[in-house]
Amino acid sequence: MSVLGIIAGAGRVMSEEIITDSNGHVVTHSWIWPETAEIIYGSTASALVFYALYRFGWPAMKKSLDARTERIQKELDAAAADTAAAATEAAGIRQAKGDIESERARILADAKAQADSLLVDGRARLVDEVADLETRAVADIIAARGRVGDELRGEIARLSSAAVDHVVTGTLDDATQQELIENFIARVGASS
Amino acid sequence: MSDDNRIEGYSRALFEIARAEGTLDEVEDELFRFARSFESSDSLRTALTDEQIPAGKRQAIVEDLLGGKASSTTTQLISMVVGSGRGRDLPAIIDKLVARASSAKNLEVAEVRTAVPLSSDQQDRLTAALINATGKQVNLKVVVDPSVIGGLVATVGDTVIDGSVRTRIDQLKSRL
Repeated sequence: MSVLGIIAGAGRVMSEEIITDSNGHVVTHSWIWPETAEIIYGSTASALVFYALYRFGWPAMKKSLDARTERIQKELDAAAADTAAAATEAAGIRQAKGDIESERARILADAKAQADSLLVDGRARLVDEVADLETRAVADIIAARGRVGDELRGEIARLSSAAVDHVVTGTLDDATQQELIENFIARVGASS
Repeated sequence: MSDDNRIEGYSRALFEIARAEGTLDEVEDELFRFARSFESSDSLRTALTDEQIPAGKRQAIVEDLLGGKASSTTTQLISMVVGSGRGRDLPAIIDKLVARASSAKNLEVAEVRTAVPLSSDQQDRLTAALINATGKQVNLKVVVDPSVIGGLVATVGDTVIDGSVRTRIDQLKSRL
């Protein structure tokens, strides 16, 4: 509605006459429609109210809606971030689980390798020790045999020495003594 | 005075006394045999060299031992050496005396060790054999030494002619 329209309407309202009943009560011209002036005043007041609402209430409401939207967006973002973090953590856990599995496998493999190495080393050492023991045993046997042989020879020599003295002394009678002396004299006399 | 000089002095004194007495050969022989007995008998050596025993006692032992078995000159000479405390040097003194006596007669001492005594004939033939073998005139000194067991060992100067059973047994033992 233009300002001219409003003014024209206001002129017409001003020019309407008020109808009253017999009791002096004001009677409207329609049982449903208000009076024209009321429409104008009401419309104007409504427009002013709507304008005031648009001018002053809407920004605040819009700001509130924007803030709510932003809060909701933030919450959505946080939820998305939490979801992503959870997914990352889940992936980490899955990776860690995988790492644990691989670590376990690696430790088991290392342990098995060490056990195999120890077994091989132990067998080799055992073989060496057995060979060494055999060598020493053979050497000990040879030494013992030599020692026993030496002791036996020594004992035989000792007994023989004792026997020689006894036997020779016992067999040296006067005739033998004289023969030895004569042989000595003959031998010395023959040498020059 | 060193021991060598002292031994030399005693041997010369004994030699001169025996020669002055005109019994050099007999005394020399008796002294030689006594020296060998002295060497082979530990108890005799101990008795005549023990300084804890008085000199008179040691001399009495000598006189008891040799009385009637050796000439008085021999007994007195040994008694004199023992009484002067030189009993330990007695063998060396006597050996010097024997060497001196042999040298005076242009003889080399030939010490012969035998297990059994030699007869005069054997001694004569042995002397001749040693003269033949060494080319030296020898003064034979026979020592009866049972440790020889059998045979003889003759020592003339630095030459040793060993025909003893003892040595053969020792060689056999060494081989054993």
